[in-house]
Amino acid sequence: MISFLLAYITITLFAMLFLGIYGVATRSNLIKKIIMLNIANDAINMLFILIGYRMVFPVFPPVYEKHITFEEFLEKSVDPLPQALVLTAVVIGMAMNILLTTYAIQFYRLHGTVDARDIAEMMGGEEE
Amino acid sequence: MKRDALVAASFLVAFLFIAYAVTAKNVLGLGSEELRPLGEFYLSNAFAHEGLTSHSPEVVTAIVWNYRGFDTLFETFVFFLAIMGALSVLRLDKEQLRQARELEKSMPHRQMDLIVKATTKLVVVMIIAISASIALHGHLTPGGGFQGGSAMAVAALLLFAAFSKFTLERKGLTLKQTISAYAVGLALILVTVLAPVFIYGGKVLEINLLPGETGLFNLDVGEYLAVAFGFLSVFLVLGIPEWVFKNVLRRELND
Repeated sequence: MISFLLAYITITLFAMLFLGIYGVATRSNLIKKIIMLNIANDAINMLFILIGYRMVFPVFPPVYEKHITFEEFLEKSVDPLPQALVLTAVVIGMAMNILLTTYAIQFYRLHGTVDARDIAEMMGGEEE
Repeated sequence: MKRDALVAASFLVAFLFIAYAVTAKNVLGLGSEELRPLGEFYLSNAFAHEGLTSHSPEVVTAIVWNYRGFDTLFETFVFFLAIMGALSVLRLDKEQLRQARELEKSMPHRQMDLIVKATTKLVVVMIIAISASIALHGHLTPGGGFQGGSAMAVAALLLFAAFSKFTLERKGLTLKQTISAYAVGLALILVTVLAPVFIYGGKVLEINLLPGETGLFNLDVGEYLAVAFGFLSVFLVLGIPEWVFKNVLRRELND
């Protein structure tokens, strides 16, 4: 049962990841591209956390506390490294999000469009 | 149309292949009961009394600021670049800022409901208290500078939605002050990172010999200030109403 749930979550996360990349590739609205990029980003972060999880019971967070012995802590604690990587990735993802959104907003204010095809036409690219 | 179908089909094939490899063959090693050797090293050394220890019961903070300190340091730099990029694109000079103020004054001030405003005041105080506790206890309990700063940024967003940017500026929270607070946070990080070189001749970021827990605590507080006020200063510029911004830009284009 538990392995079925794990496989279900993993497949869902990979579906989210591919959906996000597909959306970035096919949508032409810049705001929609940014949203899809966020979906892909969140799927990858969730996958990282899932890799660090251990199938033991009870499972502890990687914070050492007084009421557990050191051996028990080593046996039951989850892997701290993926959490440390995701922690910074989330905040940097939010900063990148702000940067991209800012550029999209300013482009809309100056040129009146956020559609990638219109932008390509405006910049003198060939139309399909 | 044919190309779209091809793209969709290739994405589907790639997804099915990876889903098969991950679930049936378990290439990522998901759901194992064993700990990876690197994770075991961090868990057993972060709070030990000898060896490569960082004297922190919170292993995630120990990794973020001590074992992988340069990683985090340069991520702070990436964050700085993103904030500065956003600010430099949205920047208004003095003349334009004066015009924006005048336009905002000429418009009747639209306010949210009393219920929304009262609830926001309560919730914002609670969020700020919780974010401070997350950040200041980052080296002892789950949390740290990044998490606390993000929580604080949410409080700022709530204030923008319920009140307006100009209400905050009238209360005395201007762009100049938020950027100064951001600079204070970055300076605190820089001082703590360089302190071991000048105090006991160690290497850069060798903070585990500093007295008490000042190393991790200072870095957490610095990162908290940097993240919270970095986001807040961008929100202050983004909070200018759209019609004001358009009018100001149009005047500049007409000149």
